[in-house]
Amino acid sequence: MEVNEAIEFNDWCPGCGDFGILRGVESALSEMKLDFTDAVIVSGIGCSGKLPHFVSGPISGVHTLHGRSLAFAIGIKLANPSMKVIVDAGDGDTFGIGVGHFVSAGRRNADMTMIVHDNRVYGLTKGQAAPTMPMGEKTKALPKPNINEPINPVALAVASGYTFVARSFAYDTAMTKELIKQAVQHKGMGLIDILQPCPTYNDINTNEWYKERIFKLEDDPEVHDPSETMAKMTQALKNAYMPEDKIPVGLFYKNEFIPTFEERLKANIPNYMEKYPADHEIEKDGKPITDITRLIEARRVL
Amino acid sequence: MRLSWMIGGAQGTGVDTSANLFGNAVAKAGYYIFGSREYFSNIKGRHSYFNVVISDKPQHSIETKVDILATFDAETVFQHFDEVKSWLIYDKALEPMSMDKVRSLEPEIAEKQAAILEKAGLGITIADVVKYVSGKGVKTVAIDYGPLMKNIINQLKMDPFAAEKARNMLCAGASFALLGLDQQLLVDAIKFTFGKKELFLNLNTLAAQSGMAQTKDAYGLRPLPVQGHRVQLDGNTISAMGKLYGGLGFQSYYPITPASDESTYIEANQNLNSGDSQKGVVVLQTEDELAAINAANGAALTGTRAATATSGPGFSLMNEGISWAGMNEVPVLVTYYMRGSPATGLPTRSGQSDLKLALNAGHGEFARIVLASGDHAEVFEDAVNGLNLAEVCQTPVVHIVEKTLANAYAVMDESVLEQGSARIDRGKVVFPDEPEKYKRFEITDDGISPRAFLGHAQMYYTGDEHNEYGHITEASDNRIAMYEKRIRKMEAADKFLPDSKKVNMVGNADTVLLTWGSPKGAITDAMEELKGSGIEVEMVQVRMFSPYPKSTMANALKGKKRIIAVENNYYAQGAEVMTEHLGIMPTHYILKWNGRPMAKDEIISAVTDIVKNDTKKVVLDGGK
Repeated sequence: MEVNEAIEFNDWCPGCGDFGILRGVESALSEMKLDFTDAVIVSGIGCSGKLPHFVSGPISGVHTLHGRSLAFAIGIKLANPSMKVIVDAGDGDTFGIGVGHFVSAGRRNADMTMIVHDNRVYGLTKGQAAPTMPMGEKTKALPKPNINEPINPVALAVASGYTFVARSFAYDTAMTKELIKQAVQHKGMGLIDILQPCPTYNDINTNEWYKERIFKLEDDPEVHDPSETMAKMTQALKNAYMPEDKIPVGLFYKNEFIPTFEERLKANIPNYMEKYPADHEIEKDGKPITDITRLIEARRVL
Repeated sequence: MRLSWMIGGAQGTGVDTSANLFGNAVAKAGYYIFGSREYFSNIKGRHSYFNVVISDKPQHSIETKVDILATFDAETVFQHFDEVKSWLIYDKALEPMSMDKVRSLEPEIAEKQAAILEKAGLGITIADVVKYVSGKGVKTVAIDYGPLMKNIINQLKMDPFAAEKARNMLCAGASFALLGLDQQLLVDAIKFTFGKKELFLNLNTLAAQSGMAQTKDAYGLRPLPVQGHRVQLDGNTISAMGKLYGGLGFQSYYPITPASDESTYIEANQNLNSGDSQKGVVVLQTEDELAAINAANGAALTGTRAATATSGPGFSLMNEGISWAGMNEVPVLVTYYMRGSPATGLPTRSGQSDLKLALNAGHGEFARIVLASGDHAEVFEDAVNGLNLAEVCQTPVVHIVEKTLANAYAVMDESVLEQGSARIDRGKVVFPDEPEKYKRFEITDDGISPRAFLGHAQMYYTGDEHNEYGHITEASDNRIAMYEKRIRKMEAADKFLPDSKKVNMVGNADTVLLTWGSPKGAITDAMEELKGSGIEVEMVQVRMFSPYPKSTMANALKGKKRIIAVENNYYAQGAEVMTEHLGIMPTHYILKWNGRPMAKDEIISAVTDIVKNDTKKVVLDGGK
């Protein structure tokens, strides 16, 4: 694995799982030879949101608003579908304040990749319970045990229509990199939920805690024929809801039979992929060239 | 000449269609039309009405009192009988109908209308209403809708339930014949609309003809000579056309009244010729307005012209996205269809109570542009200018179009769309030679950085304070420099448009009607008549609120005896903004916040009252 020599300055806590995810992203970009000409990293708010600023290598980054990374991402993708759009967001970002966008992204199945930094706490605001923290858990910054049931990211993704659903572990940079590459190359909306320790605020779900529980999924997750869809979704949900004494990682579900949002748009706009909005010419010598004569004529009374 | 006609009925019974066809037929005879639509936040059953003004000159407003009231149900008669001057068309079979049987009539209105009848010593049936209006000199036309419709149903052998829907055309036909125009015009308008659906074409034609046979020429209108083409356009459509002409590539929206019609129109017409090729505008219906503004922000970063459209509640949700756009210098256009606030307020009525929200949307201080259109032609022009200003100044632009304009249509000369003079200015766009060294937020004299698009250079955006590359930094010196840079762009914004596009000044008099947005229409239409009665007024209409055209406004108002603020809100927010910038206060106020548009006759009586009696504040309540 090629790792960039020039490491960017970075202000995450020592031992943060974000480092592993960052390495996975950098290696995946480098192996796929993606740079600012054909890819962009969009992030949300929180520790994870800073990731694009910390990537060493020639990439562009858009560090957005809390919860809204997917909204920005869909705008970028649909205006310029030639770009690979990779989203990095936190668990609170994605499943708390931005959960509506997460569900809608599945319904659209645009060809994008969503990487969730899942450490079960809101790190940058000092350790409150994130939507993925189990009920009853009391990490050290919580005054009382968590009284909310957790969201299951893998199950929610499958139910929402994501067509590539995976889980990784932040410190397994090789698996993280591999899954990111697969998700980017997958045709459709992909989720990689990355379990990560927060050494500062999560004293329960630590590196050691995960290492004792994690195992690699062996099931074939891919839909090879549309008739297998329900069976593969059911299998993915069953694996997603496995009791926490054993935590499966790897690919849970993959289905390339669902048309992407870009393909659905192409049905309405025949030359969409060749002449997408970012590539529209709109003026010549300062004069508008968009022809609205037909629209005006349709409203003529005389 | 100026003649006004109103048709009313339950929503879903074709009030809109008949008003459009009626207006279309009159327009074909060479008349200008202004039509305004009032409706409930409801799909079927509640009372809606259309107010149509006909003239030989361009019109921009309605009247509170109409010449002809055309009805085919009881509720319209009960609600509007005190607003008719000359003709009432009604259903004869409804004469025994009592007001208390009309459940959908709002109790507050029923009480008021019943009191008018009782005061005249009458009961509360339609027959009593007919007596009341006859006493006021109104001529009445009783139409046997039932038997007339039955004839048509027998003739066409069609489902009576479906056929009943043509009562609206019978009513429109009876009104049309009163005007004295060639009846074929209405038949042609029907043919144009229903051309491909033979049964409905026949049904509506027969209904209109049957209606026209019920009345005779009372107004003696004759066809007028016309030069050039005329178009019939509403505010939603004209805003969409302006955006498309201005090169829009991406529009996101979440459904909301009265904004959505713009987006669905764009989607229906998304494939357009552009130069030698075809292009498709992407329209994205999002999950909420948070997504709508931020998807537009994202699209704008790729170099496409991006916009969204919403109204009050949605705009409130967009605040954070607008703040991000300010911080990241994103060219994004938000078309703000203003309606009755606060909260859901009056979802289908109009208002100007959100001007200060538009001016202060999003936390923080940053360059922003706010435009407010006063009529349909301005909506087109401001949509194009809004897209230009967004890119030239690299900043969010809010374009205010009130519900009054969105849902009103005007028949106007095609030339007012000013396609010929429109320009496109994309500002400082670059394709860097050394894309790895590009500085997205380079500090420049005018504050505007050379802008490259995603994909063409390495760049970073962040909502945090950032350096010239777009990387996060909290250093004090950088903060000061970046803060100033973002605000410095307002100077370029101030210079971009000529004064005449920032402030519209009409006439020259000691008395100024200071306004913005849709009241322009009523003022424009009232000025001549006021002059005729010896009251000369000047209109000063602000079209650009941010940056505020300080020197233009200071000059315009210098030495004026009276400054009357005319606005559809409680505080006269537009005038307050003027005071904030210039220290000048209005001397008088004409205000209206009942959700209905200002009418020409209201302006005339309010201005007359102020000039004659020095009344400080006149509050208007016209329209139902």
